[in-house]
Amino acid sequence: MQIKLVKFGEVLISRPAGREAFLAMSAYLTKGLKKDEKITIDFKGVKVLAPSWADEVITKLAKEFKSIKLINAKNETVQQTLKTLREYSNLKI
Amino acid sequence: MKNGIEELAYNWITANAKNVDASDYYCQTRDNFDVKLRAMINLFKKHINENNAYIISAIAGEIGNNSFDHNIGNWRDVMGVFFAAEISDKEIKICLADRGQGVFKTLKKVKPELKNDVEALKTAFTEKISGRAPENRGNGLKFVKENIKNKKMKLTFISGSAQAELNNEMEITKINKNIKGCLAIIKYKQYAN
Repeated sequence: MQIKLVKFGEVLISRPAGREAFLAMSAYLTKGLKKDEKITIDFKGVKVLAPSWADEVITKLAKEFKSIKLINAKNETVQQTLKTLREYSNLKI
Repeated sequence: MKNGIEELAYNWITANAKNVDASDYYCQTRDNFDVKLRAMINLFKKHINENNAYIISAIAGEIGNNSFDHNIGNWRDVMGVFFAAEISDKEIKICLADRGQGVFKTLKKVKPELKNDVEALKTAFTEKISGRAPENRGNGLKFVKENIKNKKMKLTFISGSAQAELNNEMEITKINKNIKGCLAIIKYKQYAN
């Protein structure tokens, strides 16, 4: 399963927006998938990713699924946000 | 406070509730703030390195959204935030302010041993803690701190009688004011990188 984050917007900021995105993913994209399903999170096209939004989506996906791959994650806000989540939200990917 | 948007932000946060200015810089709701933040990104992209514009926007987004996250349903009087940005030949400046509960009152609920505004600000910028426990939050200001340092920006963050000055280092001092709520001023001069 590949999740293209840009489909949720180029500017991904705020917890309520992240929570809404995660709920939509849960209903339409990841519903019924097994815990060991390989999930690819594609950051292509994302311009701004803030830790509040990402904590509601990336951290939760990482808790739900065992195999997560991040692609096209070179954007600086993406890199810095992932760093923050690894340090303060126990993100393991 | 200096002239321009700094003075406007200071006046907005310290005004008597009935005199609070609902000018172009006022965002009553998170949606209002989001619209203005996106407009700011588009403005900055015309003047500075695109990546830096995105990082600055993420920092402003975290601070502004914190105001809504921690004060929703609990504003002291006027809901929402003051949010203004200006760009000159020398500097980008962003001011954010809210008339909410302030950092000390918010964090005291989850860390009762906090004694004052200075301790509260230090905790907010250095510890994984959130006033909205048991929700697992509390990473936004750490992201802010790290990226202010990385981009050689300057952040002045005031809440109550405490002022945090962040750049390469962080210094938190007691001030002779009592700012009810939070006031943040971001400055960025490194246009070229």
